[in-house]
Amino acid sequence: MIVWVLFCLFLSCVSGLGQSQLYGDEFHEELLLKQLPSGHVYSYFQFTTLWENGGDEPNHHCHLFPQSLSEVLHLYDVDEMHLSLTGGLWRHENWGYPVVSAPPGAELWAWFKEGTEDVDKKWTLLSNALSGLFCASLNFINPQQSLNPKYSFTPLGAYASASQNRSLLRYSTLPREIVCTENLTPFKKLLPCDSKKGLSSLLNAGNIHNANYHSLGIHVRPQCKDVHCLQTVLELKQTVSLVYDLIILGPESRDWSFRKLFGVGLAGSCPLATTSKIYVDTSSNGTSSVYTLTPDPTEFISSTRGGYNTLFAVYDIKKTNIITMFSISSTHKGPRVQSLNSPPVLHATRYIVGYGQEHGGIVTKVHNNHWKDMDIILFENIPWFLPIYYHTLKVTANGGKQVLTPYKKHYIPGRDRSRPYALELVVTLPPRSVTEIYVEFDYSFLKWQEYPPDANHGFYVGAAVITSILPHTKNYTGIPIDGSTFSSSINASRDSYPVTLHTEILLVTLPTPDFSMPYNVICLACTVVALAFGPLHNHTTKRLQMLDPSEETKGLLTTLRMRLKSFLCKSSEKKEETPVETKSSKSKTKESPQEEKLCESKPIIRKKVKASKSSS
Amino acid sequence: MGSSDTFKSLCLEYGFALILRIWLYNSEFKATVSGRVEVSTPINSWKKVTEGVALYKDGINPYSGDMFHESPVGLVIYSQLIDQATPYLSAIFIIFDLLTGHLLYLTAVEYMKHLMRRQNEDKDEYSEEVKELLLTDKDVKRQPLYVVAAYLFNPYILFNTVAQTTTVFSNFCLAASFFCMVKGNRPVVCLFLSLATLQSLYPIVLIVPAAICIGYHTLPPVNKSKSVTSKLPKIYQKILPRALQSTNSDHWVRSMAATIGLFAAMTSSLLVLSCYISGGWEFVHSVYGFMLLVPDLRPNIGLFWYFFTEMFEHFRLLYLWAFQMNALVLYLLPLSLRTRRDPVLLAATLTGITAMFKSYPSLGDVGFYLALLPMWAHIFPYLQQGFIVLAAFIITSVLGPTVWHLWIYARSANANFYFGVGLAFAIAQIFLITDILLSYTKREFILRQVSGSVFNGKHRKLVLA
Repeated sequence: MIVWVLFCLFLSCVSGLGQSQLYGDEFHEELLLKQLPSGHVYSYFQFTTLWENGGDEPNHHCHLFPQSLSEVLHLYDVDEMHLSLTGGLWRHENWGYPVVSAPPGAELWAWFKEGTEDVDKKWTLLSNALSGLFCASLNFINPQQSLNPKYSFTPLGAYASASQNRSLLRYSTLPREIVCTENLTPFKKLLPCDSKKGLSSLLNAGNIHNANYHSLGIHVRPQCKDVHCLQTVLELKQTVSLVYDLIILGPESRDWSFRKLFGVGLAGSCPLATTSKIYVDTSSNGTSSVYTLTPDPTEFISSTRGGYNTLFAVYDIKKTNIITMFSISSTHKGPRVQSLNSPPVLHATRYIVGYGQEHGGIVTKVHNNHWKDMDIILFENIPWFLPIYYHTLKVTANGGKQVLTPYKKHYIPGRDRSRPYALELVVTLPPRSVTEIYVEFDYSFLKWQEYPPDANHGFYVGAAVITSILPHTKNYTGIPIDGSTFSSSINASRDSYPVTLHTEILLVTLPTPDFSMPYNVICLACTVVALAFGPLHNHTTKRLQMLDPSEETKGLLTTLRMRLKSFLCKSSEKKEETPVETKSSKSKTKESPQEEKLCESKPIIRKKVKASKSSS
Repeated sequence: MGSSDTFKSLCLEYGFALILRIWLYNSEFKATVSGRVEVSTPINSWKKVTEGVALYKDGINPYSGDMFHESPVGLVIYSQLIDQATPYLSAIFIIFDLLTGHLLYLTAVEYMKHLMRRQNEDKDEYSEEVKELLLTDKDVKRQPLYVVAAYLFNPYILFNTVAQTTTVFSNFCLAASFFCMVKGNRPVVCLFLSLATLQSLYPIVLIVPAAICIGYHTLPPVNKSKSVTSKLPKIYQKILPRALQSTNSDHWVRSMAATIGLFAAMTSSLLVLSCYISGGWEFVHSVYGFMLLVPDLRPNIGLFWYFFTEMFEHFRLLYLWAFQMNALVLYLLPLSLRTRRDPVLLAATLTGITAMFKSYPSLGDVGFYLALLPMWAHIFPYLQQGFIVLAAFIITSVLGPTVWHLWIYARSANANFYFGVGLAFAIAQIFLITDILLSYTKREFILRQVSGSVFNGKHRKLVLA
């Protein structure tokens, strides 16, 4: 009986979600698994927390929302914040679009509240606070490295006013940032269930950082509470994107399972979560490869979005009776078929051209595979040590045959050691074209103390960001702007599908000085200056005079040398006096007058040399 | 050599120089040369000018970034040039270069006339034995031709023209101010000097020789009986110029003040004009701050780049001051006092010193003062280090690009190699300039002092004591 009562109490706790419903706060955990055409497996975790009273009252009870983050957001007047910590590069051409795009390294952009004074200071404080919160080097973000883009990074949240004051936006990247387990642990601590229960227990550091691509994301924005949007809630999306290469993971390279991907099984859902669902994209099942999923999904959902159908196998963990461990696995049947890769509508690559360390160029190639024009916003963020030449900017399509004029250009030239070069272009890409955006740059020469410890490793240049609106949803997995959870993307047909692409980051090896040379260089350069100073000083302060060498006062050393010389001359004369019978005696006697002369004249010659030395 | 011969050889020189330049402009060397760090510095590179003009046209303040370091006046001129005359750009550069050559020729002609005049005046002071050392009419005719040749066929100047650096224009301004200096035209010399100063700051030192030179020109006819300064204490007689002693010192004060005042007025009005053009004083930091603070450490033929690359941060300001003073003011006063009798030599020396020690020197600057030197071809026999200097110039000019290639492209050498070559080049220039100065003094001394009575049949030597 008692057991029964206890069980009822527990049930009411879990299903009723007593407190969370009391406050209207919600927590959703979702996992999307997708087999990519290249054979990789994409797993996307999204933990969504909706905080009803978010930001309204500073000391309000946070409930499900992480308090540490809420304090930071409130203290620095942040409206909207997007942080990503990524290792590896998302390959759009082969993998399609991720749910959330992120460049390699760290990226942070934030919108501050209207009326925020001294945005730069708040920005620095914010990045410092986040640095502490996520154990990342975000403290290296300072106003000198930050940008204020004009067209890109529009706010994603719900705001009272339609127009946004662009001066409230800050953007910065740290392309060299290495993401590892020390970032994952604080990330997991922000979740209501930590990593003890629920989908977050799958986030096993050892397996995650083995992935080809891993990205942590924190996205905070105000979101409409309901369809009428009279009230907003604060939405926190914590995302983890992983791409596994199955060939590396195990022997049967086509099959995957939780155990193979995450190393562990799932013990159950987070009790605080409203929903806890796993979506497996099975659209490709039966076309390129045939596989079966075990266990059977709770249901299949067909999603029609922008003319494209996707079939999801959905596992509702809340409804699944998990006895010990829950794991999903796919088993392939039949022969291995290499599926044809159909690249997405819009994708881009970026690279450096030129050789040597003097002049170079950055090429960004944007592919438009659509049959219609497509407008894009390209945002280039180039550090100050790669000064770009704005006048060399060329936008050409189809192998340079077609010269395009950007619809809008926004360029802020950089300044040495204080501001990066920011270039934004709004370009209309011709249908079925490859557009090349080329700009020349010079390699800078830095001070020796400005080079990082491993100077010859090179310097990273942050990714270019391309923002566009896709006409259809092929390869598209993004969540609509009005939705919070991944489930809101099901059957979410809209007029347009906004997409953000990040290109590769670049690694540039700048010419280095010899780091062991400071003293030598200072000495040598000063010597050269002194070489000019000495004679010029002599010339300007002394006047020419005729000197009789015999009257010149001699130094001790000169006197000694003279004595020695005269002594040697004398001894040779003495030698001469001794009779020598050999043939050479004749020649010796012949030489003697010359020698005598030499002895006499030598002091004068020597002194002349000395004089010329002293006078020059 | 008659005047028709001179005309013929001049025409020949210009014609040949023109052909050479046209050929170089149309050859593949143009792209190679214009990218060279020895020729194009951040201050004078045409690519940076194009960049600045492009920004200016797109409504972006070129001085808000760090890519453009020309003055706003230059910006407007260059933007007009690029707008109106892009197809004729190379022609404009060649014309300005030839004009510079011709101005230098005229300067040299005027200066040789002046030297002859002074020689005739002072002839009675010279001793008998030095007759053969005196300037002859042949020298007077020949040396200006040497000057033109040394300018037009100087490889450094050729590189400079082909690379389309703005040093072509600053050299033109300098040559024009040299010419007006020897002509004694105060307003024009001030105008060109302030233009040159506006562009590259360092020519500001040339106002001193210009003021002295104009002082000589405006000197009232000497009336020896009314010598005022003979009453002055002996120390003044030593310090003040000879001309000053024989006339009233008021003239000198007035003349120098007028020149310097006019120059200051012109420069400041140009600065105000620049401020008006660029809409603020931001350009001062971007142009002159850039030259003085040396933030860009791209290698060049000077001493600054590696020195400040390797500098300890807390000593930076100290050495910055020391090096800039070395280039600008350190030698100005002593040399002006010492060579006050020959302001043209003073001007040439100061041009040379700034070309050596300025923060972003280029081969165009070096070539310019080298071209001036044949004006003193008559003192070349007194040079002690002529061969060493010549050899060093040739060797460093070949070795510089070689080690640059090894460092930047082949990655088999490092910065020290290039810096070493730069040092050798600087030392060669230092030897040359100090040697010229010393030889000049030696010749003057010998002209006046050498006589049988001094030698007395004994070995004597010349020393600076």
